[in-house]
Amino acid sequence: MDLSGGFGARSGGGVPFREVTALESLHLGGGDEFRRMVPPENAGGFTALLELPPTQAVELLHSSSSSSPSQPTLHSLGTLAFPSNSVLMERAARFSVIATEQHNQNGNVSGETTTTSSVPSNERIKTEPAETETCDQAAVEEQNNRCGGKRKDFDKKVKSSTKKKNKSSEESEKLPYVHVRARRGQATDSHSLAERARREKINARMKLLQELVPGCDKIQGTALVLDEIINHVQSLQRQVEMLSMRLASVNPRIDFNLDTILASENGSLMDGNFNGTAMQLAWPHQVMETEQSYHHRQLQQPPPQQWPFDGLNQPVWGREEDQDLGNDHNSLMVGAANLHPNQVKMEL
Amino acid sequence: MQPTSSMKEEFLQKWQMGLQIYRPLIDNTSVSERMKAIKLSADVAMASLRRGTTCWSRALIQKTATEDNFLVRQMLSGIKAETLINKKLPKVMCHRKIVRRSKKILRRRKSRSAIEEVAAKARKLVNKKTQGLRNVVPGGEFMSNDVLLIQETLDYIVSLQTQVNVMRSIVDAAEAGSER
Repeated sequence: MDLSGGFGARSGGGVPFREVTALESLHLGGGDEFRRMVPPENAGGFTALLELPPTQAVELLHSSSSSSPSQPTLHSLGTLAFPSNSVLMERAARFSVIATEQHNQNGNVSGETTTTSSVPSNERIKTEPAETETCDQAAVEEQNNRCGGKRKDFDKKVKSSTKKKNKSSEESEKLPYVHVRARRGQATDSHSLAERARREKINARMKLLQELVPGCDKIQGTALVLDEIINHVQSLQRQVEMLSMRLASVNPRIDFNLDTILASENGSLMDGNFNGTAMQLAWPHQVMETEQSYHHRQLQQPPPQQWPFDGLNQPVWGREEDQDLGNDHNSLMVGAANLHPNQVKMEL
Repeated sequence: MQPTSSMKEEFLQKWQMGLQIYRPLIDNTSVSERMKAIKLSADVAMASLRRGTTCWSRALIQKTATEDNFLVRQMLSGIKAETLINKKLPKVMCHRKIVRRSKKILRRRKSRSAIEEVAAKARKLVNKKTQGLRNVVPGGEFMSNDVLLIQETLDYIVSLQTQVNVMRSIVDAAEAGSER
């Protein structure tokens, strides 16, 4: 049974011949007629099944009992988590594998199907739009290919799911279109496929958002999660405003100078460094600024500067130098993993 | 993804650069002016971290360019400043009221089953929330599809968190120092 043909190659090596004949007789020309044979999405009625070739009808019969009551007709952003969906997913897990278009397949080994695959890292998200956008468009166009693939899917659902999934994921990386496999009992026309791919994409990203926003994991339902996200964004924006107002009021002139090394993730560490070497208020006409001391403090590249640093006679920075040098050097050389506020000077 | 320290450093550098631009300009005496200067430079610094790859950063830069063109130009010199500032905003904005009215007209004779009604209500709710999200995220109105919107939101939230973290540490340091 040759499964290495992938979706594109209909070499017929792996397909039993009687299947081929049965299907070929129906395949009248292009994928359209074939797709019309496929039952519509609410496949409950027998009349739809009768039009199908026998093998597919049998499979659909098996799945229709489980799938029809729980067929969600929701096309929204994956709302209202149906409890029966998980049951359906268990069944689907045993019989098929969902090959999503996302590259990260590590979490989906051995036929475990989750509509949202394991969390891809955020870096991948940035590279993803370039691919997934083209995937989307091309997915709708490449109907024939997928229809051919569906024939094989119905037959070969059980076997070697992981191998096939890996293969398809590799292929989706190279090819511009998306290989999405239909689960049992789900419609296979191109529109719903594209929609389903889109929905899965959205669900995956919603999951990431849920992890990012604190307290969103417990919430069920898209609308509430979106609510939380909106609140979080608004609160962050308000925090920025508050902080800028505090900074403006604390500091009469907005030029404060920071040549600090900011490496830590939490600013709470800097409380410990405040003791002797903390903020000094500089007198505006200190001429003690020397270039080398400035460069000493900086263990990183100085920012691309728009003001000349050479002639630092003027207190452009207005910093107080003399007695702090020793302390600052020591504390700076040690670890330097915290934000050292001792170098933050302000002018009055 | 949590804000990394390199992101924070970069943001700090850029923010400082922006503040330096303000310094010789005006003798900032009023609190509101200073706050505006701080906030604007912080926003542009945050947006410039993304170098124009994300939609929200472009929209944010354009928004601050309307308020202070000079600052934006100075801060972004060298990083395709001109293209970012001069690029017209994409006219994808659809007038929601008109769309809604026309949809209502088209929607006349559809028979509703119970399930469909629930689904329709859920969909409406979600759409309302997405619209709310679009209002909050800068440039949200120009993101036509939901996938892009959520992606941008992710990135925007991470950048906001870096901004808040850095600003908070600076403010804490400044306040503690001024208490002496």
